[in-house]
Amino acid sequence: MPRIQLLNDQLISQIAAGEVVERPAAALKEILENSLDAGSNDIHISLMQGGIKQIRISDNGKGIPREELNLALTRHATSKISNLEELERVATLGFRGEALASIAAISRISLSSRFEGNSHAWKISSEGGYLGEIVPAALNMGTAIEVSDLFFNTPARRNFLKTENTEFGHCEEVISRIALSRPQISFTVQHNGRSLSRWSQGSSTQRFKDILGEEFLSESFEIDEVANGFRLWGIAAQPTFSRNSRDKQYVYVNGRFVRDKLISHAIKQAYQDVLHNDRFPAYAIFLELDPGLVDVNVHPSKTEVRFRDGQSIHRFIFHSLNKRLASPTGAINSVSVSKSESNPFKSAYPADANTLRDGTYQSQKNLALNSQSEEFYKTLFGNIHNSNVDSGIEKQNSDSENGIQNEVEDFPLGFALVQIHGVYILAQNKHGLVIVDMHAAHERIVYEKLKCNFDIDEGHQIQMQPLLIPVSFFADKMEVSTVVEESKSGYGNLSKLGFDIGILSPTNLVVRAVPAILKDADPVSLARNVLHDLKEFGSSRAFTERRNEMLATMACHAAVRANRILTLQEMNGLLRDMETTERSGQCNHGRPTWFQISMNDLDKMFMRGK
Amino acid sequence: MNIKINRETLLKPLSSVCGIIERRHTLPILSNLLLEAREEKLVLTATDLEMQISLSIFSNIGGELSTTISAKKLLDICRALQENTEINMTTSESRITVKAGKSKFNLQTLPAADYPVMSKVLTGSNTLIRISQRELKRLLRQVEFAMAQQDIRYYLNGLLFELTANRLNIVGTDGHRLSYTSTELNQNYDKQEVILPRKTIIELIKLLDDSDEQVLISLTNGQANFAFGAIELISKVIDGKFPDYSRVIPVGHQNSFSVNRITILLSMQRASILSNEKYRGIRMVLGNNSLKLISTNSEQEEAEEELEINYNKEPLDIGFNVTYMIDVLNNVGSDEVIFSFADANSSCLVTVPEDSNYKYVVMPMRI
Repeated sequence: MPRIQLLNDQLISQIAAGEVVERPAAALKEILENSLDAGSNDIHISLMQGGIKQIRISDNGKGIPREELNLALTRHATSKISNLEELERVATLGFRGEALASIAAISRISLSSRFEGNSHAWKISSEGGYLGEIVPAALNMGTAIEVSDLFFNTPARRNFLKTENTEFGHCEEVISRIALSRPQISFTVQHNGRSLSRWSQGSSTQRFKDILGEEFLSESFEIDEVANGFRLWGIAAQPTFSRNSRDKQYVYVNGRFVRDKLISHAIKQAYQDVLHNDRFPAYAIFLELDPGLVDVNVHPSKTEVRFRDGQSIHRFIFHSLNKRLASPTGAINSVSVSKSESNPFKSAYPADANTLRDGTYQSQKNLALNSQSEEFYKTLFGNIHNSNVDSGIEKQNSDSENGIQNEVEDFPLGFALVQIHGVYILAQNKHGLVIVDMHAAHERIVYEKLKCNFDIDEGHQIQMQPLLIPVSFFADKMEVSTVVEESKSGYGNLSKLGFDIGILSPTNLVVRAVPAILKDADPVSLARNVLHDLKEFGSSRAFTERRNEMLATMACHAAVRANRILTLQEMNGLLRDMETTERSGQCNHGRPTWFQISMNDLDKMFMRGK
Repeated sequence: MNIKINRETLLKPLSSVCGIIERRHTLPILSNLLLEAREEKLVLTATDLEMQISLSIFSNIGGELSTTISAKKLLDICRALQENTEINMTTSESRITVKAGKSKFNLQTLPAADYPVMSKVLTGSNTLIRISQRELKRLLRQVEFAMAQQDIRYYLNGLLFELTANRLNIVGTDGHRLSYTSTELNQNYDKQEVILPRKTIIELIKLLDDSDEQVLISLTNGQANFAFGAIELISKVIDGKFPDYSRVIPVGHQNSFSVNRITILLSMQRASILSNEKYRGIRMVLGNNSLKLISTNSEQEEAEEELEINYNKEPLDIGFNVTYMIDVLNNVGSDEVIFSFADANSSCLVTVPEDSNYKYVVMPMRI
């Protein structure tokens, strides 16, 4: 029978290393974060054999004094926090005082650093955690760390390493994540002696472009929302740029890359109405909030966080994104949906911040519009607009001295010219040609109208259909406890959602009423969804989602079908509706409803002006 | 093998049995009909594996036959032929030739031995019930519309047949409303319950006529058998526990009024035009000797119908799914109907004066 005994320090570090450093990329992340915390603005990364052989990072941060070099490689030693209060409000990326010691325990490491103001640098080496002597070294400024032969003394872990390419891929991902969040720092990356990339200091837009690609950038919109001490900024791709996997989803909380269920759920919900189920949105977004409101000390690798007030963060993120996604075509003005990969008319938008923000072109003032249709249009729709609440249009109409041209510019989708094969509408606006998929566009318009009607109809209370024969079902502890909590607060949430759920026994719940509109749905699965959402996110959109599914089907049947011949008036009516309808850029299934081909694109196709 | 038969003799029975054959099948033989002729009798059998209808035709057919043939094609051919044509069928190998006058059709067959015939279960207890065709049809009509359709509570997708003492109770519900009827039998039974599938009920209603001829119902283990006229219908029963309906039927509702069925039905239909197309909600507002039906839709349009009734109890404002009300008014088939209420949150009971056994319960809607 083995005796209980204290482990030696060496072994403790190796065990701890198992949690933090599972592959070279993890070591790389820890060291890079140290460089960031040291305030560097130029970081060189050099990897050998995917980081398995060697990781070398040098920065120009403030460095480590000679007398602290020892401690830097020792477990539970850090300069970043000193008491509990600071832990609770930690603003640096690291704070556990474990990373370097863990890496040191399983590799050959050499750490040279020149502290600010020192005349030369000092260097300390360690092999498997056994520290060597501190010797003078040559270094311009900052700190240089060389980690070689990772896992040389833990063969078990070494056997789990993948191929050099795979490991390098992971390292690249780590570098991208960090570089995305720090545009003010320049990065140089080398692999096996070859220079791979160099990202210079610049704006965040520039950095997005460097890392995510120009295409991503031109297909995205910028977000910057501030409320209740939260700030959400970054870029998110248009629904048409959706992906079939979860890559290209970057979420940062106070500059730290995280994978958080709450945040991704909020984003997913915001995209719900415009994205097909098995597509995933792409985004790089940054959430900034008081460090005291978020707990990062959840897991040693620190990709998980806990929020003090998850509910309001969920709401904030959902609303910020939803607002942008929902803005009607008219409001985004000429943000073109036209640049998806398959589009042969890919335009060369300069993807810098300015074009992204207002997106206006030099307009072709002298673009002649068919004056007849213009007049006609005025007689048709002039009255409508005068009675319209949309003040923007009203103002333009009263300000008729500016003439027709001005009015044209007020209609981002322009005027219909013709219908092609009973499917597409061609229209002309101030930028050039607009192609509209008439069924997709109409479907969205009908859908949004239905949603709007039902929202008004429901008012404060959803119509409820009590069941003649209540349905009881076997529930787990979480579901029962959710109902118990609800019962304490007077069933406010549940009845607001149109549900009446009661407790039969500690393991059985009963559904006594469901929302009238969903009366034919399966009450049990509906109730489970609602309870799950209430528990996880404090509110439930399960009802709205199910209802919207149904309205979407209704909209699909009510929308004009292909081969329905439309007159010009009808087409123009459709375009005007699109301009004032939310999310009219995509149909209910996330397909695009319209494309813009600018005069520039057309000119290029015909090689005019060359 | 060769038989002959008059078109008129064949056509009506043929269309009766073809009703249950599903159009799309993974098993080709299920789209076929089993033809068996022996001496003076031709038996047509159709099945969908859940139920089976066999129909005997007694006619001088002059031959023997045993094969299966596409039900739809045979029916289409018979329909299209001229009246009173003599039809000749000759089988050879895997083919059948149908001749009528100058028309000739050569059709594929599948072996009769492969046809999945449901046989009567003879083991276990066997309960026999006798009831006239007219009475059974009337009972089924009264409750059939309240059955659920493709509900995941599979036991609601059918009607409950409950035997207690000398009564047969038939109940249908979809979880929102319930329809109950009952009749007296000439014999006492032990308590017994079976649930018959929706499709069986619908076919039964089609096949039953208004004669006084007896239907012999026999209930055995997992099977129900209906024999009437030349027809024998075998159906599986739904294996499940029907909800305890007796708890749902309210007693002692005080606020009641009687109204002409057609009058209120027409009012309901008019008001329903402007009810929300999804909820189908309608408000019934009861005042002194007046009933108002009020509906609004999502476009904020409104309809209001007023009826004069004999009512002097508590005033009441209660919401319902109008479809549920129209359903019962369409199906009860009496001149007057009686509505009884307790309050705006309790169920409503609909009864008819001439049949005290009939009860219809519907839950209100919170509008």
